[in-house]
Amino acid sequence: MKGKARLRQLAPLGIAIALLTLAACADSYPNTTFDPHSELGRAIDSIWDRLLILGTIVFVLVEAALLYVVFRYRRRPNDTSTPPQTHGNAVLEIIWTIIPAVILLFIAVPTVRTIFKTQAKAVAGALEIQVIGHQWWWEFRYPEYNIVTANEIYIPTGRTVNFKMTSQDVIHSFWIPQLAGKRDVIANRTNYIWFTPDTTLGPSVWNGFCTEYCGASHAKMRFRVFTVKPDQFASWVAGQQRPAAFGAQQGAPPPMLMPFPGARNDRAAPAPPSNPAVTAPVGAATASLASAGPGYTFPQNQPEFDYAKPHTPVPAGLKFTPGLTGNAARGQQVYSSAACIGCHTITGNPMSMGATAPNLTHIGSRATLGAGTFPNTPAYLALWIKNARAMKPGVLMPTLGKGEYDPQLKQKVTTGGLDDQQIADIVAYLTSLK
Amino acid sequence: MATSAAPAHLAPKSAVGYDEHSGIWSWIATVDHKRIGLLYLFTALGFFLVGGLEAVIIRAQLQGPNGTIVSAEMYNQLFTMHGTTMIFLAVMPLSAAFFNFLIPLQIGARDVAFPRLNAFSYWVYLFGGLFITLPIFFKVAPNGGWFGYTPLTTPSFSPQVNIDFWVVGLQILGVSSLAAAFNFITTIINLRAPGMTLMRMPMFTWMSFVVQFMLVLAFPVITIALVFLLFDRFFGTQFYEIAAGADPLLWQHLFWIFGHPEVYILILPAFGLVSEIIPANSRKPLFGYPVMVYSGILIALLGFGVWAHHMFAVGMGPIADSVFALATMLIGIPTGVKIFNWIGTMAQGQVRFTTAMLFAIGLVALFTIGGISGVMHSSPPADLQQTDTYFIVAHFHYVLFGGSIMGIFGGIYHYFPKMTGRLMNERLGKIHFWINFIGMNLTFFPMHFSGMLGMPRRIYTYDAGQGWDTFNLISSIGAYMLVVSTAIFAYNFLRSRRNGEIAGSNPWNAGTLEWTIPSPVPEYNFAELPKVTSRYPLWEGNETDAESARINSQEGKTPADLGIVLPYSTIKPMIVAFSMVVMFTGLLISKAVLFIGAAVMVVALYSWLLAPLEPEHH
Repeated sequence: MKGKARLRQLAPLGIAIALLTLAACADSYPNTTFDPHSELGRAIDSIWDRLLILGTIVFVLVEAALLYVVFRYRRRPNDTSTPPQTHGNAVLEIIWTIIPAVILLFIAVPTVRTIFKTQAKAVAGALEIQVIGHQWWWEFRYPEYNIVTANEIYIPTGRTVNFKMTSQDVIHSFWIPQLAGKRDVIANRTNYIWFTPDTTLGPSVWNGFCTEYCGASHAKMRFRVFTVKPDQFASWVAGQQRPAAFGAQQGAPPPMLMPFPGARNDRAAPAPPSNPAVTAPVGAATASLASAGPGYTFPQNQPEFDYAKPHTPVPAGLKFTPGLTGNAARGQQVYSSAACIGCHTITGNPMSMGATAPNLTHIGSRATLGAGTFPNTPAYLALWIKNARAMKPGVLMPTLGKGEYDPQLKQKVTTGGLDDQQIADIVAYLTSLK
Repeated sequence: MATSAAPAHLAPKSAVGYDEHSGIWSWIATVDHKRIGLLYLFTALGFFLVGGLEAVIIRAQLQGPNGTIVSAEMYNQLFTMHGTTMIFLAVMPLSAAFFNFLIPLQIGARDVAFPRLNAFSYWVYLFGGLFITLPIFFKVAPNGGWFGYTPLTTPSFSPQVNIDFWVVGLQILGVSSLAAAFNFITTIINLRAPGMTLMRMPMFTWMSFVVQFMLVLAFPVITIALVFLLFDRFFGTQFYEIAAGADPLLWQHLFWIFGHPEVYILILPAFGLVSEIIPANSRKPLFGYPVMVYSGILIALLGFGVWAHHMFAVGMGPIADSVFALATMLIGIPTGVKIFNWIGTMAQGQVRFTTAMLFAIGLVALFTIGGISGVMHSSPPADLQQTDTYFIVAHFHYVLFGGSIMGIFGGIYHYFPKMTGRLMNERLGKIHFWINFIGMNLTFFPMHFSGMLGMPRRIYTYDAGQGWDTFNLISSIGAYMLVVSTAIFAYNFLRSRRNGEIAGSNPWNAGTLEWTIPSPVPEYNFAELPKVTSRYPLWEGNETDAESARINSQEGKTPADLGIVLPYSTIKPMIVAFSMVVMFTGLLISKAVLFIGAAVMVVALYSWLLAPLEPEHH
């Protein structure tokens, strides 16, 4: 009787849980690990399926046994008899030692097999992308194509991509849930992870995350991965290989790729391209497109990829004068005489050779700002230049807006700050760098 | 006695200058293991509330996307301190409360082997705990995670004082744990009553015994890791300095060689408590006692060989990954055996649903879930998706909340009468249990989903539209329920100390030695050291056990009536502990403070060591 009453009390709670679960199912899951789109993702997922089935069976059996015993052998009122004082049973002990051992065997064998399969050397001809972790952004390099970019990766479907990673500072971890598992990005070490995006994939965007706690803005160290068709990829490569789309000097030297800051444990290193700086663009499609207009970029504002569009709110109090029109030529001058060039590179702008911050050569073609924190629109870019430190905790990029409060120095920018018109000009310059 | 050689001026006065039995001084100067146990209990429950509050702020921040309740910097301090507090300041000392209170009672001893060292352990814990906790009120708390990975915690990337508090604080707490561990090992080996063979020891004492060895073996490793970091931070060495070529994995290996055994240090005492509660409330001896002993030892041994399963993503290579995966899976076997034996104990028994029993059954049910999800990331390929996501947060909260905390709550309800002489209110206790049980599952079960759906750990905020909103909202609602349940517990705990029903010596009709003596326990514990002939002297003992129990159950005798010599109360261990913490604080402030602290510590230590422990025996 009492049990029934309790059940009735719990009923509303059960209904609430059921409703919440339903509500949860109505959401979509853009970062799910249950819907992998590469051979690595599927290898992991098949082990997961096995773990889930065996785990569920064990869970149901153990909890059922527990509930059965607890209710079957509950003490009746006024029962003062002594139950049988058993001390154990050797046969039972052996049985329930062996059963888990056998279950574990069913997990262990495919586990070891998959470990060796997925950690083998990547196939020859894989696309190498170098991943260099920074607090709190990602540097990506394509040595084969002599491209340096930040926070956004384009990869062609159907071609194995081999990520070669290291860090410039603390430990980060590289994760694209729908495509692969994680690999830590560690200074003084070189790590690899490789996978092949399914050939059947249409052009899509995937969210990537840093998953090793790396300090103040760990939560805002995101990136985007665009899986595109091979011809689209070739077009993108061609676009990225060109110097800055605006104001580039004629005959500016091609960018030199810095040596990979790698590591002594580089046991699985594939042979590097002979000399990345002079390697010609690879692939016929690339060559034919090399002189065409701006390369392919993944179209923005597609409703089905809304999950890849950041919704981070702008900090209260950070405002920009409305109605200002920027002038790109003036912007280039301001940019080239301001602090920007100390840290950023723009290929084709000989003043801008800094190497500690994201490469901005094609920033106009990127979808996001601040490592996936804000959409890359002129409005956000202006606010970012004005006060990046208010937009994203801890960033190295200084607060530049005149009169703005720098939360790290805990003082207002007085001398040398940029006014809104100057920022608008820089925005015009940068957004023209498609 | 050697003490007779002590110079007259060092000999303590026979009548101390304060009331030994009540008032605050009686607690500050106590060397009685039961009072020290209670001090541990109150202090650790205080820190448990602090750690819980930190957790609630975390859940409020993550209740919805792009939360703004706390800043990124504050959030990072909160999650660091939540982990550090719950592990080092709440669960470990809650276990220590039971080690202190129960071990001498369960083995038939008058006290621990080194009563003053025991007091010292407590005071180091208290002052060290305050040292590491107070900075959060000034927004300078440690912010490198409870795991403190280098290079993030090196001076190059964390030049501020925050991490200093963590490095120094953990060193201080390590002193406390090690001193206590040696004390309990000596106690269990040397002070067992006649007839209390190892294989008659109650299971809680057995699991405690195993844990002390784990502490002694694991803490030196973290101590070394911390000494390197401390030297890097204060004296300019470069053990972890990546610019000088350091390998960041050095810290990870050292930390997890400590850190994984630490997990079993946190759970085995709870297993021990449950192994007392379940037989007492099933009227049956523990099923498979020797297997329970061996599985506990096996868990501890294997626990030292699996540390790198925390590092499957660091790129150790396929061989290391496979070895650590298989070793990790093996631990599932003795753990499963324990679960089955608890169920076997209840089977054919007469299960009585006291609050303590509900918590014990809760542990069996919830730890099973944590164990299963543990096996799920023992497989490195699967772990590459799970590690550093909320799936892991779900897993270890099922182990530590569903396991350790449920076991400890059960232990508190079960042993409260032995500690205070009064019962906790069972009705409030059951309300506490059910809200706690539902709130716990509501908080942590959805995290399995948010993790597998891609939500990383240790993020102070997340974006909208990632499919995580609903799960996070449910988790936060569950956390608020846990606040309610904990408030009910706190009320019940405080109220029952004064107004609870009088318990008598054995309110649960349990069978082990500690239930033969009056509640609350007289300061000498056993009027006459018992002679033990069985595992459950009150259930299956012969006349010898019965006679011991009859003598020891008599109340109202003073130590003087019985001719029992008890140690002097003394505040010297506290002074040594305090000056040691001052000395460490000097590292952060100035050399002068360091030297003053060191000088006081040395003088106080000599004064302590030269003073006799107890009056001469006549």
